[in-house]
Amino acid sequence: MKEILLGNTAIALGAVTAGVRVAAGYPGTPSTEVLEGVAKYNTDGKISVEWSANEKAALEVAAGASWSGVRAIVTMKQVGLNVASDPLMSLGVIGTKGGMVIVVADDPGPISSQTEQDTRHFGKFANIPVLDPSSPEEAYEMTKYAFELSEKLHLPIILRPTTKVCHSSGTIEVDTEVYQYESEGFVKDPKWVIFPPLSYRRHLEIEQQQKEISVLFSRLPFNRIEGNGSIGIATGGATYAIVKDIVETFKLDVTILKSGAVFPPPDQLYGEFLHRVEKVLVLEELDPVIEEQLYHVMAVRKIERPIRGKLDGFVTPAGELRFENTLDYIEKFIGRKLKSIENKPVIDLPQRSPVLCAGCPHRASFYAVKKAMRGKKSVFCGDIGCYTLGNGKPLEMTDTCLCMGAGITVAQGIKKAEPDANVFAFIGDSTFFASGMTGLANAVYNGTNIIVVVLDNSTTAMTGHQPHPGIGRTIMNTSSPKIDICSVAKALGAGFVKKVNPFEFDEAVKTVREASEKNGVSVIIFEAPCVALVKSHGICTVEECTGCKKCIREIGCPALTVRARKVEINPALCYGCGLCTNICDRIIRL
Amino acid sequence: MDILITGVGGQGIILASKILAYAYVIEGRNARTGETIGMSQRGGCVVSHVRAGNAHSPYIPVGGADLLLSFELCEGARRIPYLKKDGFAIVNTAMIIPVSTALGKSDYDVEKITKYISENTNAIFIDADRIAQECGSFRAVNTVLIGAACGLGVLELSTDSIIQSMKKNIRAQYLDLNINAFHSGMKATEEMREKCKIM
Ligand SMILES: Cc1ncc(C[n+]2csc(CCOP(=O)(O)OP(=O)(O)O)c2C)c(N)n1
Repeated sequence: MKEILLGNTAIALGAVTAGVRVAAGYPGTPSTEVLEGVAKYNTDGKISVEWSANEKAALEVAAGASWSGVRAIVTMKQVGLNVASDPLMSLGVIGTKGGMVIVVADDPGPISSQTEQDTRHFGKFANIPVLDPSSPEEAYEMTKYAFELSEKLHLPIILRPTTKVCHSSGTIEVDTEVYQYESEGFVKDPKWVIFPPLSYRRHLEIEQQQKEISVLFSRLPFNRIEGNGSIGIATGGATYAIVKDIVETFKLDVTILKSGAVFPPPDQLYGEFLHRVEKVLVLEELDPVIEEQLYHVMAVRKIERPIRGKLDGFVTPAGELRFENTLDYIEKFIGRKLKSIENKPVIDLPQRSPVLCAGCPHRASFYAVKKAMRGKKSVFCGDIGCYTLGNGKPLEMTDTCLCMGAGITVAQGIKKAEPDANVFAFIGDSTFFASGMTGLANAVYNGTNIIVVVLDNSTTAMTGHQPHPGIGRTIMNTSSPKIDICSVAKALGAGFVKKVNPFEFDEAVKTVREASEKNGVSVIIFEAPCVALVKSHGICTVEECTGCKKCIREIGCPALTVRARKVEINPALCYGCGLCTNICDRIIRL
Repeated sequence: MDILITGVGGQGIILASKILAYAYVIEGRNARTGETIGMSQRGGCVVSHVRAGNAHSPYIPVGGADLLLSFELCEGARRIPYLKKDGFAIVNTAMIIPVSTALGKSDYDVEKITKYISENTNAIFIDADRIAQECGSFRAVNTVLIGAACGLGVLELSTDSIIQSMKKNIRAQYLDLNINAFHSGMKATEEMREKCKIM
């Protein structure tokens, strides 16, 4: 049967077909739909699927399952692997039993990430094989193969799709049979306990094994040489598909090296490729990984070919490769124009930057803090989530953002350096459970007077509304204990702890003032659900607008628009949250 | 066949691309889609590329689209450079004013934008939001626009395949409304069909 599947869904279906029994992950664009896909295909409930509290937890859950002999998958975005890197490094030493696949989605651009890091380096760092799919179709095949490979090597396998694979769909002939197996359960063995002597022994074995995997990868169909011609193009991942389109469209006589199983590098195949061509252009997104591998093979095998790529500045070190710039590089490399793109004129158009939705409770929370602290020296540390958008005009309530959970701890550093400022740390509910609690403990333990504002919208909104430990529901829609953030804050020793609905605006402003006057660590929990989870509360309307636009200047809600110099409220967007009624008496909620 | 669908988050663009892509599969072709969603859940630019045939990569090159299906006026203008020389644009005249405009930092000049689109491509403007409302919900704007494209005869797809694909991709309780919206969209452009053939 042929299906149109999103790359991430194809990975999910591949895992289900391969008989995965435990699936764990933490949401993060562009990886999120993988775990959601496993949950969707888990119709008989035989797979244990969970959103873990963070990526480290997810990877460890999967490791335990694998050590007990079942197939397991973990999913995360690239920065998630930074959080999970501690277990990853040790798992590379100890190894696995049941097939284990770690899906880590990279995001060239970056389009929705903090960094443009390249997960292929983690493979090398941890001695873990890396598969790099070029399309949803290949992602499906690679996922199934990755489980087999993991069991053959007793190592976890990193599957590293990028945004163009995760969020594109392809036509896939899907299997109907699911791989069946019996697991013997956890068998006690000293090999599951990492100690220095074991680590040393394993290190020797692993280095030897890397050489064997390289030989295997040189014969793997995911790695191959296509075409002939003395001009070589080495590529991998989503860029391979673009190169293929260009080569077919313009009927180019080139030899393509496609690197799909990219670590350990298939040295033999690389050597063969280098022998067949006179010069090489390397086209890959993120870091010059294939390029460096080729230089290494040239040095070891004493081959000399001119290579153009990122290392000599021929190809941009940052950002995406798309059809247009890839074509430019190929034209420049072969020394002739292939296409005269007749560019249409462009005009200036209004910018459409991402904004907090109309009715978003974060807007009310930010505005309450802004109003309470007006005229007082304050620093607003932000964190990662929809609320990072609080940095935009006109709110401008996010002064720092580093990585998940860092808001609370960065605030402590700022407070130490600037004791007379009111230092706030905003953090979302999902982020609080993922990596905020340790920071809170740190603030209490070290007596740093900061005000932590938990923006509790009852969901992980930014990544598409996943549940988390504070919700009382799992990814499989079963109920679970609901961890109360208020109680956690109290238990961690915060002095002032209060929960308020930010739309009860006067109360919210009062609470912020109160918290800022207290000594010790204060925690305010602004609780109101994300607009995507609830029906609208009605609608606001402006009566006889004077055209001063104060409402827009203060809160910048997307439902507030201007027509003929007067403010109008777009009924299709308004949620009737009523925040604007606190700014202007002429606005009323119907 | 390369179709670029564009608009603003929350307008149902991704579903529209799924419906089209699966309709091509029903007709025995390969299809792929590529989505660029960006940072915000709602209110940001969304573009989806639908490619039927044997292209390997998911994104349509600039100057390569046969059809531009635009859910919002200025978003349509933004993607005009993606169209082929003889490509078509079907543009919903509905506007979603960005916050930057409300704050007075950028201008949403309807006349200028409309003129730019008309001058640079074969464009058909329809008020798809109104048609969707008349069919029962503004959410059906995506199926209205698919109908409009079908009515123009530029999709290389039969009506049957599209309806079959809608049945697979739309939840049962919304299906009738959407099929109705699809037919209304079709009616809106069918009469323009002759005109397009001349162009
Ligand atoms: C280490 C890491 N994992 C995952 C992500 C992806 N991510 C971005 S925001 C976010 C959580 C947002 O949820 P929450 O804190 O509840 O804020 P909301 O978006 O609901 O306002 C996640 C998981 C990330 N940026 N970093």
